[in-house]
Amino acid sequence: MGHPNVGKSVFFNRLTGAKVFESNYPGTTVDFTKGWMHLGGEDVELIDVPGAFSLEPKDLAEEVAVKMLEENRDSVVICVLDATKVERGLYLALEIIERGYPVVVALNMWDVAEDKNIRIDVEKLERILGVPVVPTIAISGEGFKELVSKIKEATPVKIEKIIENAGGVESAAVSG
Amino acid sequence: MLKVPLSVDERWNLIDRISKQTVEFGARKHTLKDAIAELTVKPLTGIPVAIAVLYGFWSFFVDFAGTLFTDGFMVRLFDEHWLPWLQSVFPGGLGNPFYALMVDAGHIENGVLVASDNCLESFGVLTSGFFVPFGVVLWAVLAFYLMFALLEDVGYLPRLAVLVDTVLHKIGLHGYAIVPTFLALGCNIPGVTATRPLETRKQRFLMITLLSVFVPCGAQIGIMQDLVPELMGWIFLTLVIGYLGFGFILNKIVPGKSPEIIMDVPPYRMPMMKNIVSKLWIRTSRFLLVAVPFVLLGCLIVGLMYLTGAMDWLATVLGSFLMSWFGVPGETVSPLIAGFLRKDLAVGVLGGLMEQGIMTTFQVFTSVVLLCIYFPCLATFALMLKEENWKEFLGSIASLVAMVLVYGGLIHLVGVMLGVA
Repeated sequence: MGHPNVGKSVFFNRLTGAKVFESNYPGTTVDFTKGWMHLGGEDVELIDVPGAFSLEPKDLAEEVAVKMLEENRDSVVICVLDATKVERGLYLALEIIERGYPVVVALNMWDVAEDKNIRIDVEKLERILGVPVVPTIAISGEGFKELVSKIKEATPVKIEKIIENAGGVESAAVSG
Repeated sequence: MLKVPLSVDERWNLIDRISKQTVEFGARKHTLKDAIAELTVKPLTGIPVAIAVLYGFWSFFVDFAGTLFTDGFMVRLFDEHWLPWLQSVFPGGLGNPFYALMVDAGHIENGVLVASDNCLESFGVLTSGFFVPFGVVLWAVLAFYLMFALLEDVGYLPRLAVLVDTVLHKIGLHGYAIVPTFLALGCNIPGVTATRPLETRKQRFLMITLLSVFVPCGAQIGIMQDLVPELMGWIFLTLVIGYLGFGFILNKIVPGKSPEIIMDVPPYRMPMMKNIVSKLWIRTSRFLLVAVPFVLLGCLIVGLMYLTGAMDWLATVLGSFLMSWFGVPGETVSPLIAGFLRKDLAVGVLGGLMEQGIMTTFQVFTSVVLLCIYFPCLATFALMLKEENWKEFLGSIASLVAMVLVYGGLIHLVGVMLGVA
């Protein structure tokens, strides 16, 4: 899952060898596609979904994405984030974590982030979120080996734990 | 106690604290890429760039598909070799019904049935039925999708969307509409599915209706360019005016909201050969698999209708209406019938009629425009049924009928007033 135009379909094509359309504009994928990928000696189903900004769908394409998530309660979710826009990508990732899904976060377009002089402390982010975080460059395939190897490490994380890791007790005040 | 899920504010609050600890924004350099990106969206420089890009697109389409492949090679292959060869070896000969269906129906000249000398006039499944998809349309589709894939992957389309945003707002659409519209210029089917990211049902309804009526597909454009290159400017102008004009009216009468959509403009990227080739291959093979059987089937149906006299009967029955309302001869029913299945075939059938010299230039122009707007092809029609609910679907059909009658009549009227009809 991830925002529109972060590279989900490129991930899908790389991981499954399928041919889903990839383009450089938001909204290329408007339906889901299923494919198979190898994971530690077994074949695992992978689903490519349209981009979504949040889990409250605003249009038909987002509806498809959210429906796929809900229909596959026992799946691991690869959250693809645009590394140049981490904050808003995290919004969707947190929503998915809150719903109890095991998540792997891919910080895609890592090269663009470097060009833009954006530095992300991956280890610290991993520690706070408690889920694997992998920098990737989907179009050239960098980071994919690591991403695949970490899918099995993904476990559900309690949001309270993340709040605690983030060092925030502020939440006590907000949540009353 | 903490409630799960978090509220929107709580979540943003948390993200804020996470990102403060993990993300660091260094000084941004203004790169060449940024400069190009700005040049293409600021109106003063963006509009000339857009015109240049679209002109380049069109020139390539015309030169590569039309001049190089169709005129330079395919027309000769089909008219000078394929047709004469079939005429000489196919059993039956002129006048035989099966021969007429498969190879050459011929036409009456001074009371005598004579053989055709090109693959549009002959109207056989093996001649016109193959010439239209393989002689003309395939090359148009290839050229279109090659240029389109480049524009897609570079990331130019969203910039074009930003540029036309203001204009499209006036008709209740958003700049994003440029994406489905452009896709529809290749084939209406992906155009219709690309309306899904539009937020309200009203926006989708407007977009789907306008697409299916006023946007000709690449196959159709390819064969129009081949038959009436000198009229293309007028045809596009008429379609654009219709798209904007009827968009404006529909926006006023269709209930619902048309809110602002915020679209991300992605960075420019260098397109990758592998992706371009793979998209070109998928789209072209889809055309070959889906379109060609329909073209052949359409060819057969139209041929049978001629043979059984059904076509002449329809031409007589509908002739006076077609003539009085749209100013086109009754013979136009045959391309209109073919157009239910495939628009490219329809224009091909029209080309056959033109060869017989029974139409004036303005009638040809009106017929070509009518062929674009009167009905989306069967495949698009079926998809509309799937994408819209019943009410919307009936609404689309009603708007379509109204638009065709009003606009077709209007074109005729303008022609009469200008003295060209």
